[in-house]
Amino acid sequence: MIVTTTWFLLLAAALFSIGVAGVLIRRNALVMFMSIELMLNAVNLTFVAVSRELGLIEGQVAALFVMVVAATEVTVGLAIVVAVFRTRASANVDELAEMKG
Amino acid sequence: MGNAALLPVAFEVILIAGALLVLMVAVIADRRRSVWAPIAGVAYLAAAAAGILQWRAVAESGGDLYFSTPDIVIVRSPMVVMDGFSAFAAILLGLLGFVALLGSWDLVVRLGKRSAEFVALGLLAVAGLHMMAATPNLIVIFIGLETASISFYILAGFIRGSRASDESALKYFLLGSLASAMFLYGIALTFAATGSLTIYGANSIRDFFSVAIITEPGILLAGLALMLAGLFFKVSAAPFHQWAPDVYQGAPSAAVGLMAAGIKVAAFAALARIFIGGFISQIDAWAPIIGVVAALSMVVGTTMALVQTDLKRLLAYSGVAHSGYLLATFVGGVEGVPPMWFYVSTYAFMVVGAFTIVSVVNGPAAHAAPISSFKGLAKRSPEMGWLLAIIMFGLSGMPFFAGFVGKVFAFVVAGEAGFLWLVVIGTLATVVGLAFYLKVVATIFAPDESGEGLEASTSARIAIAISATVTVVFGIVPWPLLEVVRDALPI
Amino acid sequence: MAGTNAPIECKGSILVLNQYYDDYITVAAFMIMGFVLVGAAVMMSRAIAPRAPGGLKDVAYESGIEPIGEGWNQSHIRYYIFALLFLIFAVEAIFLFPWALQLEYFDSIGMGVFALVEMLVFLVILFLGLIYAIRKGVLKWE
Repeated sequence: MIVTTTWFLLLAAALFSIGVAGVLIRRNALVMFMSIELMLNAVNLTFVAVSRELGLIEGQVAALFVMVVAATEVTVGLAIVVAVFRTRASANVDELAEMKG
Repeated sequence: MGNAALLPVAFEVILIAGALLVLMVAVIADRRRSVWAPIAGVAYLAAAAAGILQWRAVAESGGDLYFSTPDIVIVRSPMVVMDGFSAFAAILLGLLGFVALLGSWDLVVRLGKRSAEFVALGLLAVAGLHMMAATPNLIVIFIGLETASISFYILAGFIRGSRASDESALKYFLLGSLASAMFLYGIALTFAATGSLTIYGANSIRDFFSVAIITEPGILLAGLALMLAGLFFKVSAAPFHQWAPDVYQGAPSAAVGLMAAGIKVAAFAALARIFIGGFISQIDAWAPIIGVVAALSMVVGTTMALVQTDLKRLLAYSGVAHSGYLLATFVGGVEGVPPMWFYVSTYAFMVVGAFTIVSVVNGPAAHAAPISSFKGLAKRSPEMGWLLAIIMFGLSGMPFFAGFVGKVFAFVVAGEAGFLWLVVIGTLATVVGLAFYLKVVATIFAPDESGEGLEASTSARIAIAISATVTVVFGIVPWPLLEVVRDALPI
Repeated sequence: MAGTNAPIECKGSILVLNQYYDDYITVAAFMIMGFVLVGAAVMMSRAIAPRAPGGLKDVAYESGIEPIGEGWNQSHIRYYIFALLFLIFAVEAIFLFPWALQLEYFDSIGMGVFALVEMLVFLVILFLGLIYAIRKGVLKWE
């Protein structure tokens, strides 16, 4: 059985969709946050698969940059989640309803 | 590698060096009085000056493209580009950053030692914003977007222990990251369809469209749609606007001006660079999407703004409507870029001015700004009252104010491109929109019993005066700016 | 099962394929040897060691002193700042690897110094970040 690039692209699309669904459906800030990371990793998989298929190095370099950006996002995001947890003792986004209108 | 190689990146270099200097001065010199705000001010002005130098260098060469990397590397793919488009963005963002810094001076003073981080994050954010306008590489656009966005997430949550500020930061972070990821997946799919990540240079997207027959239209269209969705999110165009009111309200008023205006300038610049610079041959595929989103933004933004009782939320929904008017320029292709620049540059100053007044009236760190608190503002402080009224007239699109000129040119471009229905909706939305802007103006001039005086710091007054001046001057004599933006095209 | 890349009729290519799998036999042999050796050692000690269960022997080993409290422990929130800082600095190292691979190429086209300076700029910025963290007292355990 030969695993072609299409498989990778489909897997990435599936992972990305799971990530989007996770952000939209789940209500725990940390789980939403993990879903976003899943989306970024799906993108990385796409980049690397396409890069290999087309014989271009750009996609792999892009993946490296995306990894670093993702790490930065994790750092800032975790800090924000911890700050919210300190004032509310909960990471449920439904309780974030200070402002409405 | 002399000045010629450094000039294209001068804007970013100056601002990032300024941010590092601010942070180092803050921890090493450890001064009580904030010396870093003047450093940041000088950095913004120097960066704007670098933009002017870039503009002149481009004009002298007859509008050529410049790349920061030596020739050998360009053959692969250029990372930084210098043209009229990026130079204009540099001048605009440098001045905008400076005015926003003046407007947030009160908050900087109040934050004390922590203000070093506040100031440095502003500098980094503006550097990231310009990166989005000054690169032909899609990945670098993404990195610029993230540099700015991550800085803004922190700025939104900068007031410690404030539940509203925390909430604003978390909402902005979660939805902003979702948008960034969608934008990035769009880039990846475009890469899959065209085999290129760059707009100019060898093996570019433009080369692809000039020679190749598109074999994967589905993947290409999905990529374009995802990139559009990500950028729509960032400019809070409907139906991707829900985060904006909450984020603007919860974030410290003094920081919202830069957040709201800066991201619009840069995201529209990136939109023009990608779609008009790179995918102009596919305009039939993306112009209708942009047209529909523009109309939706105008309608949703205007109707939602009608029922708001908080000025910050009202400005957020008005921002949604303004994104709609700005998007309307894009259906005209290259013709739409000068009107886009005129509109976004005047709008950016109006927004910064409006949020500065909010921070003067309700306090720079406050999150609530009920419209009732502006009652009798003209009596409490005639200066503030009149300036806010001018900015409101500008935002509403009244004749003789900059907003009117911008809207007229936007509608002309959309009409010439055959989007007459968009012009009709836009005109209706503008007329309806007058209602809520004039409601604010009426509140300002309403008689007020309490009549407490209002103290504004000199820096805040200068910032507001600058934005009101921009509103009036370019409303009455728009030609000089129109002359300039005509050369600011993504070639 | 077999795709276009693995022709079956040709005897030679089957030989090549067999050689390919032969390489994995070594790996498998090592794995089996590993399991056997570890298993034998465990069984041996089971078989010959004297057994006297109970008493202090069931208590968790803590360098000879009597253990205090539960085996599960909450780690301090301060660890999290260290973890975040470590994360950033560790991930930034990603950029060093492709740079190191390409440095010789850049040198060969006369841009070695340029590449070196570029990386130095990057490292200096990271270093300034570290100085900032230290001066802010983030790395102090108070």
